[in-house]
Amino acid sequence: MDKRIKLHHGDGGKYMSKLIHELFYKYFDNSILLSNNDSAVFETIGESLAFTTDSYIIKPLFFPGGDIGKLAVCGTANDLAVAGAKPLYLSVGFIIEEGFLYEELERIVQSMSQACKEIGIKVITGDTKVVEKGSMDGIFINTSGIGLIENDYSSKKVAPGDHIIMTGGIAEHGAIIALKRHGIKAREKFISDCGFIYNITEKLVPFYNGIKLMKDPTRGGIATALNEIAERVQLGIHVLEHKIPLRKDVSALCRLLGIDPLYLACEGRAILVVEPSQSEKIIKCIRSCENGRDASIIGNFTCKEDNSVTLETPIGGERLLYPLDTPMLPRIC
Amino acid sequence: MDESKIIRRIMNDMKVFNVGELNFMEVCGTHTYAVSHSGIRKMIPSNITLLSGPGCPVCVTDESQIDAALEMINKHDVILVTFGDMVRVKGTNESLLDQMDKRENIIVTCSPLESLEIARKELDKEVVFFAVGFETTAPLIALAVKGAYENKLNNLSFLICLKLMPPILEKILAVKQKKVDGIICPGHVAAVKGATYFSFISKKYGIPAVISGFEALDIALGLYYLTKQHTSKDPAQFRNLYKLCVNERGNKFSEQLIKEVFDIETSKWRGIGMIEDSALRLADKYSYFDALKRFNIKINKSLVPQKCECKDVLLGNILPHQCNLFRVVCNPEEPKGPCMVSGEGACSIYYRYGGDD
Repeated sequence: MDKRIKLHHGDGGKYMSKLIHELFYKYFDNSILLSNNDSAVFETIGESLAFTTDSYIIKPLFFPGGDIGKLAVCGTANDLAVAGAKPLYLSVGFIIEEGFLYEELERIVQSMSQACKEIGIKVITGDTKVVEKGSMDGIFINTSGIGLIENDYSSKKVAPGDHIIMTGGIAEHGAIIALKRHGIKAREKFISDCGFIYNITEKLVPFYNGIKLMKDPTRGGIATALNEIAERVQLGIHVLEHKIPLRKDVSALCRLLGIDPLYLACEGRAILVVEPSQSEKIIKCIRSCENGRDASIIGNFTCKEDNSVTLETPIGGERLLYPLDTPMLPRIC
Repeated sequence: MDESKIIRRIMNDMKVFNVGELNFMEVCGTHTYAVSHSGIRKMIPSNITLLSGPGCPVCVTDESQIDAALEMINKHDVILVTFGDMVRVKGTNESLLDQMDKRENIIVTCSPLESLEIARKELDKEVVFFAVGFETTAPLIALAVKGAYENKLNNLSFLICLKLMPPILEKILAVKQKKVDGIICPGHVAAVKGATYFSFISKKYGIPAVISGFEALDIALGLYYLTKQHTSKDPAQFRNLYKLCVNERGNKFSEQLIKEVFDIETSKWRGIGMIEDSALRLADKYSYFDALKRFNIKINKSLVPQKCECKDVLLGNILPHQCNLFRVVCNPEEPKGPCMVSGEGACSIYYRYGGDD
């Protein structure tokens, strides 16, 4: 019979301890975690730290290019990376539905462990809860992350004319989720962009004086992220649609489903705001990374008082780029 | 020459025609969307105004039909399957989306045929497909109805709210004082019904009309043709510019499906009222699958007073931003009318992509 997660795996007793030792300690193996204290104790060297948290509730749990575990590590690490920080430590909270397959949990934990090793981030504390069958759907994961600030751009002022760089193809994660949710079988191989940004931001250290802001366009896609940036810096943004990296198959899939790729999530990309004089050098540096080879300057800041984001279309027309306001649903015809 | 250069040249050539102020109507919601989304709205010469027409399926679906769908899920505990846009539009009081927060029995789909699969899996439940759309979606719905009939899926039924294009166009064009100088006909409907389906526009109402595709270049060519006709002695010409998808007689297979599964009936259009022979209902052979009959629900025929001017937007009487509520109290988050709800609604398209500045 399939081994399944039971309520006693979260009751604080010996079964929980067994689960922690056999699964979590095995895969997240590091001395801080294994010291088995109520709190993780660690030393820092820098003066400024970045701290973030995110909960991962996704369907399907496994998708081409990743799974909820990889997403939970990359997502939080990326939030740290775009804050100009080197991701150091993670906490992980699992909320698991009674009856969840042990084998699937192991797959998720294994994938998290692999992702952590990739950029040297450590899971140093965690928590497990098991809830009654039917009161949730499968597994939810929360990760909080601490990073060491390497580029504090909080005091840098974004100015009209500053360039906006997109590090890679948009909508690749959102498209695969839409594809799975609508049960469409596609011949093309769609793969999520779920992955780290830190390998890129780490390489950009020599250019940090020219980087004024970074953001990862997750839920709501680049349209929503650009609107948030415009609002935050109180400037307008002008984007050139044909410069936005978008894979042809992803574009075709979006047209088929009647959804706009500009609103679909990326899970391994970043938007960078850079000094125009340095943008070419920065682009070259990003392109030298495997996950940055499609990087492109997609637009610039304008003086528009209403902080609107406008999009120049490939035919030379123009329209507003609005933030996501209602849930995206496929159109009728 | 690349596409953008061709379009720019077409737009410049249009400016040379000495034709004065012209109002063209793009009937189909997908055209309204494409005009804004491609950015072509900003490139059109200033003497040309594009009016949006009645071709957004959820915008013209009457409140009473949404109320009927709500009654089915609330009183009869059916699994309701429908298209995405439909769940957002309010009936008299609430929308399906309001119910989705509380219930699990509303399923959004891209294909009516999925309702067959759902009915097969949920044999102890009643499944209803809430079918909205025009001649475009009708063949697919017909295929699903036939599938239910042939496979004896007796737990599946259909709430049919399919409407027809010519009667509403006749209603718009018959108003003498309204100035509509040309029509961009719905390309998808023409692909099903054939180009000749819309030739009455030019013959009967003496204005040029084109069948156009949905790419920016298709639309630019359509607008060019309509404008150019006004320089000729007889502007009332009809032209199919979407030959890639549309032939003269339409898609025979689809046409046959529609004929077999549906009859024509008089129907109420949201905010507009009853229009004779403007909708489809299930033919007698398939009436067993009529959800209204199965659950004994009567449709309220009286017109619900409207809170906004969506009706006038749909009839091309005003542009979205000429409605007093537009952007002031009506937006996609708190829509006052259906045109602000649907992705193909003119108000939501103007709100999101601009065009009112």
